[in-house]
Amino acid sequence: MKRIVILLLCLLAAGTFLFAGGAKEEAVKPTITMTVPWAGPELEQFLPVVRAFEEKENVKVKCLTYRGEDLSAVLPAQFEAGQSLGDIIFLWDWWVKKNDQHAVDLTDIWAPVKSAYIPSPAEAGGKVVALPYVMVAKPGFWYRSSFFEKNGLKAPANWDEFTSLLKKIGGISGIKNPIVTGNGVGWPISDVTEHFLITFGGAELQNKLIDKSVKWTDPQVRKIFENRIIPLLKEGAFSDPVEWTQAIELWWGGEYGLYFMGNWITGMVEDAGDLGVFTLPGAKAMVTGQDWAFIPKYSENIDLAKKLFAFMISKEGATIRAKQGGKLVARNDISSSLYPKADQAVAEAVSKMETTVLDLDDSIGGDWQRLFWDQLKLLWVSPDSLDDVLKKLQAGL
Amino acid sequence: MERRLKHWGTGYIFIFPAVVLMAIFIVYPAVKTLFQSFFDAGGNWVGLKNFITVLTHYETIDLSRFPKKGPPWGSLINNAIWILIHLPVTVLLGMLFAVMLNKIKGGAFIKSVIFLGMVIPMIVGGVIIRFLFDENSGVVPLLMRTFGIEALDFTWTAYPQTALMSLILGSILLWTGFSLTMHAAGLSTIPREMYEAAEVDGAGILRKFFFITVPMLAPVTSVVIAMTLLYEIKIFDIVYAATLGGPGGSSMVLSLQMYFYAFRRLDFNLASAVATILTLFTLIVGIWLVRNTMRGEKR
Repeated sequence: MKRIVILLLCLLAAGTFLFAGGAKEEAVKPTITMTVPWAGPELEQFLPVVRAFEEKENVKVKCLTYRGEDLSAVLPAQFEAGQSLGDIIFLWDWWVKKNDQHAVDLTDIWAPVKSAYIPSPAEAGGKVVALPYVMVAKPGFWYRSSFFEKNGLKAPANWDEFTSLLKKIGGISGIKNPIVTGNGVGWPISDVTEHFLITFGGAELQNKLIDKSVKWTDPQVRKIFENRIIPLLKEGAFSDPVEWTQAIELWWGGEYGLYFMGNWITGMVEDAGDLGVFTLPGAKAMVTGQDWAFIPKYSENIDLAKKLFAFMISKEGATIRAKQGGKLVARNDISSSLYPKADQAVAEAVSKMETTVLDLDDSIGGDWQRLFWDQLKLLWVSPDSLDDVLKKLQAGL
Repeated sequence: MERRLKHWGTGYIFIFPAVVLMAIFIVYPAVKTLFQSFFDAGGNWVGLKNFITVLTHYETIDLSRFPKKGPPWGSLINNAIWILIHLPVTVLLGMLFAVMLNKIKGGAFIKSVIFLGMVIPMIVGGVIIRFLFDENSGVVPLLMRTFGIEALDFTWTAYPQTALMSLILGSILLWTGFSLTMHAAGLSTIPREMYEAAEVDGAGILRKFFFITVPMLAPVTSVVIAMTLLYEIKIFDIVYAATLGGPGGSSMVLSLQMYFYAFRRLDFNLASAVATILTLFTLIVGIWLVRNTMRGEKR
């Protein structure tokens, strides 16, 4: 009995020693905290970049998942108190620009990568306040290649083929609606709407809507809704809004034929090799969006945070990220062959476009973005409210 | 005199920490909010302009639609509808359940199950409501399908005609536990002899309910009404999680509107105006509750 007690005490002492040693080692390592907008597979795709930096600099990087909606509610109070949730924070560029007094100037880490970067940084008050990290593209309607093959369907080459494809899909047994409408706070509906606006109004219309030089009540805008979107809604081509991750499962399971989504979908399905995508026939531009990040002035590790940020946007960091797929890196010196197969198709689709445009609601931001999402949700189930919706969108600007 | 001073002095010392904390965390923010509602973002006095802006905005009251056309009608109307439906239903259901489950076997278990709704954080409750009324995974559309009511076999939270109603029904499910528990506690304080005397006089179940139970539960019921009213006036989390006030503002409520003004529009002055309006409503209920309670104590 005595021996057992001694043995247990020894084990306890050894365990305590090892634990304390480990804890000491952990404590010695500086820690950078980063809030990211990704979770699950999307976060998994980002972590190799973090791990590479951790090994390189012998630091620890902690990633906390926070949605922009939540951060925008928490950060103002934190910043007023001189505190920050993270050393690097991913949040909308418009928000950072509005709160530029709390952001560290990133000009020094932007300058070396400037020539290799596709999008421009967010600038305010004469300084670079936020940088785009990865790009997302919203290429069009995704489908399962196996579903198309089985039912003898093919990607449409013109509008008539598109509408007849929808009719064919709608006639397949087990299909609820040809296109599933993703929902959440509302952004999936805004994405598909923007695709229609760009296809039938061109990149110019999108840009004019962003800079508010064209009104939402303008006949050109109304016509696109009236002639292209509303008839599809009335015919039941789109489903009622379904929570967007649940929509992926239902669409993948064969209840719907098409799903309009960004390229991050490649990391959210069982077999990305079975994915196919087509743009609306005639589309010459495509929305690409960026995930923006900034370093708050109240970070206790500004230098280290800058170092991590610089690594993330460097060629080395971008190469690691590109190999994981799910997002496109924002650099122009990364070969598309580095991406997994499904993402290569997206990268090629982007390259076929005459131009890329900014995401409309992300660019305008603020409460209007929420209004845009909400009014489109209304339009989707109540297409007759078009004029009222357009008036409210214009009044809300 | 010295003894008196010592007595009061000790009292003041004890309440001092609480008073300081209340001054910092309750009184100061409330006063600051009130002041902010009369200024613009640049700190200029604008009088009642913020209140007028809020009260004439279609998101608050949409007179072009209300009452002739269907929703969205605006947050103020939605709050009022919420109170008109939710208040009587939860209070009455709670009282009825409390009476019915008072003496039956397993009543305590059923009461615990109903009370579970109160234990769930309201933000989770909102998510539950969203899925409860979802066409693909919800119980409610499934029940409608089963009973052949196809007109209601869709996602309730997605349509302006049903979004607010789905939230109110879901909220009834979550909040009835409060009314039930309060009334159950009140029932245990009614002397048995009153029912026995009524039985001797030949009173039936209904007469006993209306002439003994309801009047004897009146003080409890008034507390339940006041607490429920306060909950309804400042309802936020359920709406935020389930519909975000949509579609098209058809389930918007004042608290959520205040949140959007503050954290989406970053207009803290307009948000303060909404907060002041909300405070006025809650003050009316609060004063009524305090006066009622004090009257009860005097009696």
